[in-house]
Amino acid sequence: MNRKLLFRLIDHTILITVSVLITIPLYWVLKTSLTGENLFNYPPSLIPKDPHIYYFVDVYYWIPFLRFFFNSVFVSLIVVIANLFFNSMAAFALRYSFPGKKLLILFYLSMMMIPFQTTIIPAFLITKYMGLLNSYLGLSFPLASTIINIFVFKAAFDSIPGSLFDAAVMDGMKEHAILFKIYLPLAKPAIATNIILTFVWSWNNFIWPLIIISNKEMQTLPLGLSTFLSYFENTSGQMYAFVIMVIAPIILVFFMNQRRFISGIISGAIKG
Amino acid sequence: MSKVNRGRGLLIVLFLAPSLLIFAIYRIIPILWNLILSFQRWKLIGIPKFVGFSNYQSLIQDPVFWESFKNTLYYFFGGTPIAIGVALVLSLLVNKPLKGRNIYRALIFLPYPITPVAIAIIWKWLYDEKVGLINFILKSLGITREGIGFLSSFTWALPAVIFTTVWQSLGYYVILLLAGLQTIPEELYEAAEIDGASGMRKLQWITLPLLKPSLFLCFIVGIINSFTTFDVIYVMTNGGPGNATEILVTYIYKKAFTFNEIGPAAAMTVILFLFLLLITMVSNKISGGEAGGVHYYE
Repeated sequence: MNRKLLFRLIDHTILITVSVLITIPLYWVLKTSLTGENLFNYPPSLIPKDPHIYYFVDVYYWIPFLRFFFNSVFVSLIVVIANLFFNSMAAFALRYSFPGKKLLILFYLSMMMIPFQTTIIPAFLITKYMGLLNSYLGLSFPLASTIINIFVFKAAFDSIPGSLFDAAVMDGMKEHAILFKIYLPLAKPAIATNIILTFVWSWNNFIWPLIIISNKEMQTLPLGLSTFLSYFENTSGQMYAFVIMVIAPIILVFFMNQRRFISGIISGAIKG
Repeated sequence: MSKVNRGRGLLIVLFLAPSLLIFAIYRIIPILWNLILSFQRWKLIGIPKFVGFSNYQSLIQDPVFWESFKNTLYYFFGGTPIAIGVALVLSLLVNKPLKGRNIYRALIFLPYPITPVAIAIIWKWLYDEKVGLINFILKSLGITREGIGFLSSFTWALPAVIFTTVWQSLGYYVILLLAGLQTIPEELYEAAEIDGASGMRKLQWITLPLLKPSLFLCFIVGIINSFTTFDVIYVMTNGGPGNATEILVTYIYKKAFTFNEIGPAAAMTVILFLFLLLITMVSNKISGGEAGGVHYYE
């Protein structure tokens, strides 16, 4: 029995060490954003001394933070809504049998293997020719439908008994209405996965805004963050306040529903 | 039952159209167009000229291309196996019925979904020569006297960047492996215990063999991630010092969008794409079509 206790102690020691190593950079940033102290005072203190929110206020006044925040929220909103509609519609169409269906699924699977980074040059040119540089549509278009999320919906729809569909048709319901009135309400976990994945992808997206945004007004938060870094190299308190403001929504969503969040992110193993 | 009548056909087409249109515009056309661009000379102004394989030839003679290719491989081999190894140990630990294991799982996973640009800024500062936490700890422990400029050093810059990505992706591998562990039937362990197998034996004969598909998936995800990382390197070092941390994607970006050398950048993209395609095909063959499959945690 004593041996067992010892082993358990070792397990906890390892896990606590790793947890601390993993969370300390995040804690340190939070602390600095509130005090700025450990940049100048060594040895730094572990607990924030005299925390204040002036750095956050600075960020608000130094850069058009609200504008960047609005841009990020708006683009993410377009992306999430577009994905919910387009992916569920595609998945619903896939529940019918039609000629070429197998080929279509194969086509989806092979397109999943195309990472976005290998398409950036023509994607930029196409966006330019469509006149969508520096626009919300241009920012959200490439992410407006994602294959993995079509399959997430398809898996959910496959588990809904076909008799339900037939009964709705018998009752005279239009078939496209069946998706919105019957299938989607029964696929709440799939909806959650779609929202979480596409929100995180869109919120964190950096390379695409970097390429197509040259107008400062249209910058999203990650782009604003990297520009801030190059302009204000030595203003650390403000810098980390800005970092906290960018990552807060993600962490908030994470802690709101950890289980669903983790399973959602895991299902999007490969962005696509 | 489902007789394909005209109304239904229309519905199928209309429902598939939006997503297919997006995939056509942002995946199919770009891949094809990129191939064409790789055979052209074009600086974004004027009319593109076909130049045969000369873009590819210029790449072969470009030492920076080779360095970024080498760095990309280093980026993968230096980081992923360590990350998966550590993740394996951690996943075995958080799979045990320990108190607070859900808290451990959440904390270990936490960095993964966080904005990479923010992660890069945080670590840039942790590595800082003068005010960085890491140098402070090293100095207090008496390991070094002078601060080390990790990100400006030719020796340390790439390992430092790799460590940051390991730190961020560790939790992802842990959860992926945990999902694999939970599919292993309990009876196997019980039977082994009746036969008097030790913990090590059970790990060697039951856990590891049955965990193979999950380990394999981690490996594939690791490859694809290391070949497509951009944000962290762009923000932390922008490829520097010199080209010490330049990887293919950052070099493609620089060539195309800083120097407007579309041809060579497109040629490099083709090489990157073919390389990734080869890797996924080979791994699909080895795993019997398992790689890249969707795994659920619940």
